[in-house]
Amino acid sequence: MIYIYLIFAELLALTAQEYIPPLPHGARVLLLPLVFFYGALAVSPPAMLLLAFTGGFMWDALVATQVVDGSLEISLGWSIVLYAALGAVMSGFRPLFKRGHGWEIHCLLAGPLVCIFSLSEYLMITFRRGDFIFPKVIWWRIGSEGLAAMIAAPFVFLFLHWLALSFGFIRPREERMAAQH
Amino acid sequence: MRQINAIAVAIFLVVVLILFAFTPRNTQIMQARFLGVIAPLLKNGSSLQTQIIGFREGLKKLNELDAENKQLRVELDELKATDQTLQGLAAENNQLRRALQYRERSAFKLVPARIIARDAGSWWSTIKVDKGSNDGLQPDQPVLTEDGLVGKTTIVASNASTVLLISDENCGVAATVEGTRERGMVHGTRTSTATEPDLTLNFLSKLADLKPGQKVYSSGVGGVFPSGVLVGEVKDFVVEPLEGTASVIPAVDLSNIEDVFVVTGRSK
Repeated sequence: MIYIYLIFAELLALTAQEYIPPLPHGARVLLLPLVFFYGALAVSPPAMLLLAFTGGFMWDALVATQVVDGSLEISLGWSIVLYAALGAVMSGFRPLFKRGHGWEIHCLLAGPLVCIFSLSEYLMITFRRGDFIFPKVIWWRIGSEGLAAMIAAPFVFLFLHWLALSFGFIRPREERMAAQH
Repeated sequence: MRQINAIAVAIFLVVVLILFAFTPRNTQIMQARFLGVIAPLLKNGSSLQTQIIGFREGLKKLNELDAENKQLRVELDELKATDQTLQGLAAENNQLRRALQYRERSAFKLVPARIIARDAGSWWSTIKVDKGSNDGLQPDQPVLTEDGLVGKTTIVASNASTVLLISDENCGVAATVEGTRERGMVHGTRTSTATEPDLTLNFLSKLADLKPGQKVYSSGVGGVFPSGVLVGEVKDFVVEPLEGTASVIPAVDLSNIEDVFVVTGRSK
């Protein structure tokens, strides 16, 4: 049940971030990766792959994939691979999440992982369009997005976690710890 | 690796490889379907945003609205009268053109559309509008406002469409500069966004000597954008080793537009 809840949360995050105005240097507040990273901590690796697929597909279908003069700039599916790779990193910290250190991990890793995501997208379009250019504004944009993600991460985490606990999608930490022992 | 994880990874890779094999046409169909599914959410989000902004700005008093309504009615009557006159002039113009065996040049068929979402990505300049194929829209149709050119449609769902803005690097517009015979191509730079648009006009002659403030119009070459639509005005002109390049300020404030028109054809 938690998968459906998280897929729906991804869809809402994708919609919500369309209405958040851009930050200086054209940086965006990316909510979809934050929801996905929470999912990567909260669910098993196969379920994480399912969330990577849905999140990456939504992002590609709505934002990233552009058909230019009859050819694809970035193929449908690249964001899915990126999400899966970043989700695998986040999944490595699941033991800490189970011990109750979820929001700290989510907050600390969200920034660098969002930066990697943005940089990867920029590298892909640079590879397709040619002219390997890296003006300062690109680095400011990528850095600002990482910083914005770190600031937004605890709120997204706590909200999703509170809802997941309220609806009984995940067990409280005490129960998880008791089950481990 | 546990067996279930290995199976999940294998299934994941197969599905992703299938997606990689999609042709551009199939990808556009898939994107249009997804946009069609998410469009009601975007429309609701857009109206919610409008309500929040309206609430923040405070509701106007009834008498203010009444006065504004009266003023708008007067303006509407004026515009109707002007429109009548212009229709007469257009008919006369077409008659004279026919007499001179010129191709009849008639006004565009415009579909008004409201912006329901702005670009969510960092590297693309797009907006989403609330009209789609049900309203006669198709991919690669020009989008403009009364101030000038905005962009072109790319993904068209039944009830919504994505518009690629002229500030995007991938949106090229063949253009001419007023008062000169110069022709070039306007497009956004890679760092350009709707809020901080950065347009350049390339492929100009080195002797062009353009002055700031000169208007840039679409030339109609390429077939997507009609000729004579204002794109922007020249900000500065630089001579490079092979060509002249001008920076262009867009005519339309791309970050603040709320309503646009999609050109679906020429009216008969």
